[in-house]
Amino acid sequence: MTSLRVDDLVVEYVHNGYAVRPLDGLSFEADPGELVVLLGPSGSGKTTLLSCLGGILTPTSGAIRLGVADVTKLSGQELERYRRSQVGFVFQAFNLIPSLTARENVAMPLLLTGHSRAAAFSRADELLAQVGLTDRASHRPSKLSGGQQQRVAVARGLGQNPHLLLADEPTANLDFIQVETIIRLLRDLREQGRIIVISTHDARLLPIADRVIQMAPDQHPSEAPTHQLTLAAGDHIFEQGDRSDLVYTIDEGVVDIIRVLADGSEEPLNQLRPGQYFGELGAFLGFPRSASARAGTAVVLTAYSPRVFRERVLPESASGDRQDQ
Amino acid sequence: MILLTFRDLQHRAMRFLVVIVLGALIFALLFVMTGMVEQFNREPVDTVNGFGASTWVLPEGISGPFTASSTIAAGTALEVVGERATPAIIARSSLRHNETTDAVILVGHVQGGLGAPRTSEGRPAQSPGEIVLDDSTGAEVGDPVAVAGGSFTVVGLSRKTTLLAGMPVVFMTLADAQELVFQTDQVVSVVLVEGEPTSLPAGVVAVPSAVVAADTLEPLEGAVASVDLVRALLWMVAAVIIGAVVYLSALERVRDFAVLKAMGVSNKSLIGSLALQAVLVALGAVAIGAVIQLMLAPAFPLEVTVPDRAFVQIPIFAVLMALIAGAAGMTRVARADPASAFAGAGG
Repeated sequence: MTSLRVDDLVVEYVHNGYAVRPLDGLSFEADPGELVVLLGPSGSGKTTLLSCLGGILTPTSGAIRLGVADVTKLSGQELERYRRSQVGFVFQAFNLIPSLTARENVAMPLLLTGHSRAAAFSRADELLAQVGLTDRASHRPSKLSGGQQQRVAVARGLGQNPHLLLADEPTANLDFIQVETIIRLLRDLREQGRIIVISTHDARLLPIADRVIQMAPDQHPSEAPTHQLTLAAGDHIFEQGDRSDLVYTIDEGVVDIIRVLADGSEEPLNQLRPGQYFGELGAFLGFPRSASARAGTAVVLTAYSPRVFRERVLPESASGDRQDQ
Repeated sequence: MILLTFRDLQHRAMRFLVVIVLGALIFALLFVMTGMVEQFNREPVDTVNGFGASTWVLPEGISGPFTASSTIAAGTALEVVGERATPAIIARSSLRHNETTDAVILVGHVQGGLGAPRTSEGRPAQSPGEIVLDDSTGAEVGDPVAVAGGSFTVVGLSRKTTLLAGMPVVFMTLADAQELVFQTDQVVSVVLVEGEPTSLPAGVVAVPSAVVAADTLEPLEGAVASVDLVRALLWMVAAVIIGAVVYLSALERVRDFAVLKAMGVSNKSLIGSLALQAVLVALGAVAIGAVIQLMLAPAFPLEVTVPDRAFVQIPIFAVLMALIAGAAGMTRVARADPASAFAGAGG
């Protein structure tokens, strides 16, 4: 039996000079026949995780094991072999090759990886029958509905009979009837003993999930009471990457907004003065702080919960007063 | 790989058809120009060999009988000893026939001696007032013509007896030629010898037939170089057209290649598919070009002789050119990131 184990997975890359960490210490396990749903908003690292699981992206640290294979230690041709034999992919945009028929789309990865023509097309026929598209085998993607294209994509992902099927937003852009068909298909595939990992923000998939991985921390907006802070020059108000909970207005003094770059150096972004506010967007949307805030002089600030800030302060503020962090 | 290539060609058929037709026109011109250069090179060899002499005796300091004025005293000519040593006259002249005047090369020969033409129709000149013309003049046996003011009757036609890119050679008796060119029978232009002369008088040199042929080509070197340059430019245009369509195809299919790579398909297979596409487009263009040149060649005023080897060499060069031109597209395929198969990667 082939199980999946992800340990302390970290992916970090440098973007525009500063470090971004879409995955930070993620761990989970899945047994054969389990359907795992990665739930989270855009930017929460779902696709990054799928890329790592599929051997397309090498994580910064951590380990991924599928059965006995340590995916993070594979390279070059070993990774190609892993992707070819262990993993199936279903992409959000279907990504069928427009010049090929449904049957050829399913058979093509097999043909290009050394299978005979007869074997590849026989397998394609079998898989199209499994997804209920035998009668559409000779149609090109442009002649198929979104749901049919997605079923062809699923059939293609199953070509090598993989242990692990990765599906990126498989129900995006489909109507409810098509979604139902896809969900039924994924449920059937799970029952064949595969591990299916689905990234989605579609809650309709949750009831069939055996395991749900929340890719973004559950955001309960802070309800901390409004309070005043007095800080000395150089004191940190919050750090880049911190959880965003409060919004600040400046009563006295100067606040420096600084971005910390990947090499540890600092890039000044703005200097805010009394009457201006900062930190509201991260707090509203649940994103981590995208920059650090530091007292440039001795400062007096008022800290608000997002709700109180929205109700009391925002309507009275001029649009030029804010600084999104 | 073949299926992927053919299906994409079908999918983008109109674009590839336009490129193949454009390429075919270019390759047709390449065939024709190759035929022209071949004709430039072959013409002097064929015509000079047609004189039947292996050695040409010329005055010292003369580069060749067809590129310079050459005179040898008849007495000196008689002192040349060798197998079938035969005096001949060679001079540039003009031919008037059917109200048109054309430049010709006049040859006066001894009846039955070296320099007498092999006629494809009629017979060689034997008597005064008789002349044999190259068939490219359009004359027929029995036609009256004028050469350098003298009147002649066509008694025979010869074939492939032109020089200097299509200038016809006309053959008459030695006496007629001497009269027309020198107004005396005491001068000849050359002495033609079969084999090596055994004795040469002072003031003349023996030149091998191959050197005479090479010297005859010399005035055309500029033209040959120009045609070669145009050929090189045509190859470049063909390369740019094929390279561009292959690169465009690669750009439009980056997502397809990324998907296939994500599924474990190797770069080698995908690059091979694109290379095959480039080669098929090039070979398609060459094949159609080879047919078009058959219609194009007769329209050229010069004879175009496409050598058989061109039908092997041009396709081979076309395949190599397509692979080189398609390299940019193939590099793009190699760089396709499988992670880009995920819409909104990084999400």
